[in-house]
Amino acid sequence: MATETGGNMIVRLFYALLTLAISAAVAFFVYQNVFTPDTKYPFKLGLDLSGGSHLVYEADTSEINPEEVTELMNVLRVVIERRVNIFGVSEPIVQVESSSVVSDEQKERLVVELPGVTDVSQAVAEIGRTPLLEFKLIDEEALAEAIALESISIEGATITASEESADPYTDTGLTGRYLQSAQLQFAGQGGAGGLSNEPIVAITWNAEGAALFEEITANNTGKRLAIFLDGEEISSPRINERISGGQAVISGGFTPDEARDLVQNLNFGALPVPIELVSTQTIGATLGSEVLEKGMLAGAVGFALVMVFMLLWYRLPGLVAVVALLTYVAVMLALFQLIPVVLTAAGLAGFILTIGMAVDANVLVFERMKEELRDGKSSREAATIGFKRAWSAIRDGNVTSLLSAVILFWFGTSMVKGFALVFGIGVVVSMLSALLVTRTLLVALPDRKRDEGIIGRLYESGLGK
Amino acid sequence: MFIIKYKNIFLMIGVGIMIVSLGLIFSLGLKPGIDFTGGSLMEVAYDNRPAKTLLEESLNELDLGVYSLREADDETGRDVFMLRTRALTDLERTSVEEVVLTSDSGGAVTRFTSIGPVIGNELQEKAKWAIGAVSLVIVIYIAIAFIGVRWPVGSSVYGAITVLSLAHDVMVPTALMAVMGYFYGVEVDVLFVMALLAVLGYSVNDTIVIFDRVRENIVKYRKEHKKTVNAPGGITREEVTYSFNKPFGEIVGISIKDTLLRSINTSLTTALALVALYYFGGDVTKNFALVLLAGVVAGAYSSIFFASPLLVWYAEWKEKRTAKSS
Repeated sequence: MATETGGNMIVRLFYALLTLAISAAVAFFVYQNVFTPDTKYPFKLGLDLSGGSHLVYEADTSEINPEEVTELMNVLRVVIERRVNIFGVSEPIVQVESSSVVSDEQKERLVVELPGVTDVSQAVAEIGRTPLLEFKLIDEEALAEAIALESISIEGATITASEESADPYTDTGLTGRYLQSAQLQFAGQGGAGGLSNEPIVAITWNAEGAALFEEITANNTGKRLAIFLDGEEISSPRINERISGGQAVISGGFTPDEARDLVQNLNFGALPVPIELVSTQTIGATLGSEVLEKGMLAGAVGFALVMVFMLLWYRLPGLVAVVALLTYVAVMLALFQLIPVVLTAAGLAGFILTIGMAVDANVLVFERMKEELRDGKSSREAATIGFKRAWSAIRDGNVTSLLSAVILFWFGTSMVKGFALVFGIGVVVSMLSALLVTRTLLVALPDRKRDEGIIGRLYESGLGK
Repeated sequence: MFIIKYKNIFLMIGVGIMIVSLGLIFSLGLKPGIDFTGGSLMEVAYDNRPAKTLLEESLNELDLGVYSLREADDETGRDVFMLRTRALTDLERTSVEEVVLTSDSGGAVTRFTSIGPVIGNELQEKAKWAIGAVSLVIVIYIAIAFIGVRWPVGSSVYGAITVLSLAHDVMVPTALMAVMGYFYGVEVDVLFVMALLAVLGYSVNDTIVIFDRVRENIVKYRKEHKKTVNAPGGITREEVTYSFNKPFGEIVGISIKDTLLRSINTSLTTALALVALYYFGGDVTKNFALVLLAGVVAGAYSSIFFASPLLVWYAEWKEKRTAKSS
């Protein structure tokens, strides 16, 4: 038996139980998230598993001052994002991607992901559409009526057709075509009206627009003028007076961010950068869910095979490795939910691969441990030495795997990134599971030499007796 | 250890495997997929698949250039057509859809991928860079990790040998891809490159574990000889030289034996997971699993039967050369 006092044993058992409790808690967290609808931390599925469209647009930035490219791409993203939102897609992703350092010229791309959308033509048309900036007069009475009607119809009452047809918005003929520029200002700064320091949007019309605007404001003082972008009302300032000279100010209690967005929207009603569709990917929802189901089955089978092998070959330490592997899977799934990692078919494959690799460190330690046991050491001492000796190999092996994961991530299109992320996190988590879980549990097991009773034999491995 | 005893035979087998692999790769060639060349791939699933000739007739009327139409089954077991063409514009895609979705066939486009040639080229470049970068980083890391080792061979030799065996590990799955491409029309896609990079990162572990043990055993089995030398100027300094209790080959042999079970078992667990992925996973990752499997097996083999004999062979060759020159 070991030379340590009983007190140490209690501490070790405590740590072992704590480890098991934490693992169980993590597993429970994952379980709960899977079976609770509307959970805060669901698994995020990539388009290839959930179905949807993935569009890549390339922006033609050749005509643009390089210094402005980043900002303009951002504006482009905002514009497209709004169009996609109007489209009614749940959780669309619109992001700017710069082509990597390896290509000769920097290319700016816009990636649009539309979950659930398999009719690409419609999506493409919607995104490529030229947006419309419109100014419409509001008939307050009709508007109030429309709002009232809306609330009535919500209550389920019937309404007559004649009342319904009153449109509160009247076209003025003034559109984004006449806008020269819009600018963000702060009240008090340029002598314009409003509360001091309130962000306001200053509009400059071209000559034609200025005349039209003057006429509209003269005839409709006191009314509100609604500004529509892509059919969506973004602001409805009140006309305070007749405005001549081609200048207008929109003050509407904006936050600085809102005002800046509005300026961008006004200035870039049209897309700031011409774009071209360079890549399309669409996957039907049934096909995606089939791939997901098969992937999960493959994961479960792979997991079971590795567990059976570890139990049969390494016996008692094998059982410890199985617990560590269970912890590994639970922690990985929890991370997928928490970070959240977008799971793709490739990511799923990467995860299954890491299940096979995760016991690597365990095997290294167990083999080392066996050598020490054969030298006549007790199991606990052998485990401690085993960890110490195996560390350099575990470290070197994992560092190289991790480095490849980092380069893969950098290499990455979104599919590759999904794989690289899972692979990289897997390497780190599996190393931690071996160092923390396996080690804690191993030293809490009964301390025996290899020829001491049945338990002692359980430390043996493979086809040995 | 028989591996060291017959090292020349094993080295020849290793070199043979590489030559055959390279031969297959260059004679059969790899079929680049649309990920790299650009192009479109449309998968249409049918309840009632129309005749191939019928579709081809209508497709020929469109100006698609060279295309390929192939019958297949998809994940759900439905009858599908896979149509490969050059990259289609949105308009062209619509007219193709009109052709393939014939009435009363119950057809639906379940997968459509179109990749512009620019993106394809860029990915090709990126893939080359990534493979180069991973190899380079691994060499540097190993050279640093083994930096304390100077005798009987320096740390850079360990790095160089590791890279040679990595080349072996990459050539085998690539040759497999070439063979599959030749016989079954399997194309090289981004997943293949990912599998290769994963093989690079993983296979190096086996070699590292053996070399790590060699490093440890060198210290264990060497004798230190200290000699006080009188340097000019009345200064004395200590000179340390080493000799082995056992020949270097035997030490490497012991190291292989020490780590053999570990090498086999870790590769086995990874292989088990990959076999599960191959048999039960989706069609999209089948070839990925196969390439990785080939890489993992090749990696385990090369670390035991190629890298280790090569280390001994080099050390002995170096010793002979030193003996001759002195």
